[in-house]
Amino acid sequence: MTGYLLRVESIHKNLGGKEILKGASLNMHRGDTKVIIGPSGAGKSTLLRCVNLLMRPDSGRIFLDDEEITGKHVNLSHVRSEIGFVFQHFNLFMHLTALDNVKLGLVKVKKLSGQEAESNAARALRDVGIQDTLFRNYPAQLSGGQQQRVAIARAIAMEPKIILLDEPTSALDPELIGEVLRVMEQLAQSRTTMLAVTHEIGFAKNVADEIVFMDDGVVLETGTPADLLANPKHERTQRFLGKISELYGVKRTGA
Amino acid sequence: MNLQFESILPYLLTGFYYTTLLTVGGLALGFAIGASLAFAETYLPRPASTVASGVEQVLRGIPLIVVFFLVYFGLPYAGIMLSPTVAAALGLGLRSGGYQSQIFRGALESIGVGQVEAALSIGMSKSSAYREVLLPQAIRLSIPAWSNEFTVVLKDTSMAYAIGVAELLKQAANIVALTLQPLEIYAIVAAIYFIATLVVSRTMNTAYEKWKIPGLGGGAR
Amino acid sequence: MEIVDVLLKYWPMLLQGFEITLILAAAGFLLGFAIGIPIALAETYGSRLVRWLAIGYVELIRGTPMLVQIFLLYYALPQVGIRFDAITAAILGLGINSGAYQAEYFRGSIKSIPSGQMDAALSVGMKLTQAIFSVILPQSLRLVIPAWTNEIVYLVQYSSVAYLVTVVELTAVGGIIGVRTFQYVAIYSIIALIYLATTIAITRATRRIELQYAIPGFTSSRTFRI
Repeated sequence: MTGYLLRVESIHKNLGGKEILKGASLNMHRGDTKVIIGPSGAGKSTLLRCVNLLMRPDSGRIFLDDEEITGKHVNLSHVRSEIGFVFQHFNLFMHLTALDNVKLGLVKVKKLSGQEAESNAARALRDVGIQDTLFRNYPAQLSGGQQQRVAIARAIAMEPKIILLDEPTSALDPELIGEVLRVMEQLAQSRTTMLAVTHEIGFAKNVADEIVFMDDGVVLETGTPADLLANPKHERTQRFLGKISELYGVKRTGA
Repeated sequence: MNLQFESILPYLLTGFYYTTLLTVGGLALGFAIGASLAFAETYLPRPASTVASGVEQVLRGIPLIVVFFLVYFGLPYAGIMLSPTVAAALGLGLRSGGYQSQIFRGALESIGVGQVEAALSIGMSKSSAYREVLLPQAIRLSIPAWSNEFTVVLKDTSMAYAIGVAELLKQAANIVALTLQPLEIYAIVAAIYFIATLVVSRTMNTAYEKWKIPGLGGGAR
Repeated sequence: MEIVDVLLKYWPMLLQGFEITLILAAAGFLLGFAIGIPIALAETYGSRLVRWLAIGYVELIRGTPMLVQIFLLYYALPQVGIRFDAITAAILGLGINSGAYQAEYFRGSIKSIPSGQMDAALSVGMKLTQAIFSVILPQSLRLVIPAWTNEIVYLVQYSSVAYLVTVVELTAVGGIIGVRTFQYVAIYSIIALIYLATTIAITRATRRIELQYAIPGFTSSRTFRI
């Protein structure tokens, strides 16, 4: 019993001939909120996709609640139903209304009855701030911020052990980023275990328990926001943080 | 299965010859008709463009065999006596013209109006703009769909059987009447068509790869 | 004038022939649908062998004339003891042929669905089959409707080849009436108009279906019979 909800041990992943992940490792306790930052190409999204088994690591092991999910005979769909994933481009099911988007997993995967699924889905949508009047809208009839919140609702309705978020605000227009970050803050405050890849340093500063800096396929440094942002140990971390603060200015909050 | 290849080969070769004749003739006529219709529909004012559109729909709305019969039986009324082969080529050309028009129209429409605007703004005349800017792009964009049309016409030549043209399928039927081995003969003929369409597609594909505009689509296969 | 005379005298026969044409086209389309979807799924999600077989089928059928295929079914198979009557052979020929083309349309529409849809479905915990039937197919079936219009129109037109294996569909009726009256041009003109009107009617009808089932915000695009 290690007490860790998620253990990622030395993941290697090759994509199209190029080694993207070169031994990335990471651990999370239940209730933690961790944010992964790093330059593009560092393997952040790839790592996330390995955790929910959308991609299979070439080597290394991943444990969810002390059970190895990278084994040979793992039930992929079962594992994925316990891990929530929020995509950069939302990936809402285009042919279904917002409500049905959240219901689908509950009916098909968790095998809930129509009624139960509907009330759970409705609750999840309200939790992310989507009013009832929008329930019957199709994705194309929703703003980007609304779509992403529906996507978050879809993930939390499944009551997963952990939620992974892959740059959830990067595809949003600036004025819509706030509403999604607010939902993420809410989740963090309710002690949902969250692992997010994001460029929103303000969010990381205010909400994360720990910041993970990845570069070139490995986790280079981790630390609390206070420590890592103020006193980065590695030179590359310093360089990255320097560029970010140039780009974003000094203060960027999630609210 | 005992086939005397030496005896059936001449038939097959003659058939293939006529098939090729019909294909080339039909495509060429179809090109002329198709290009004209596409141009008329896209750039001419009404009523010319509506008439062209109507013609295109008619050509695409009638089965090939019926077109063959109309041409074969109809033209003698106009005093024109045609051999079945020419009538078939004409029929194929008409039908293909309707479809090629659709292809070219699609290509012309997908080229943004901005292209011609840009050409005019640097002082080109309208005809120059069409020739130097529009046409080269339209041709390249049409190649994938056009190479498909090539194989369609090739396969449709088999329908000229209906008016007795000595193309490949008719020859096959003749052979079958003599040798009474329909399975082998028709299978061989199917294989010949298959190889022919394969050769055509591959050649057109390599041509497309060579001539295509980098980065621009065109709906490749 | 001749056209009107012929029409007044022979419209029952034309109607009968037209019925057969519609039956051939409809049956051929349905058979093609039943063949096309499994083949498209095989091509997209199947193992290497399955994919290879599916692609082989499609390439073979699309690489040979429909008329030759029907000839094989009707004239050649009896040689090994399989006998179909003319209509069955024609429907089988149309259906097998249409199946190959419909498979390609489906495959194209499945391909055009962003990979994120499958990613999301799997991430929620669905199995591959669930994801295909609940997420991919509903979207791809809507995308394929314009191609279906083309396909039905093609089948109505290509049903005329059944004439050459002795099925008495619309074009065959033209021959019968022609032999009796020698008014070939008149009769084939009428027949051409019937085909034309049918084409237009079908296009209009499918356009309406397309609009009814459209997903708000989703667009579809025209396809050729490629």
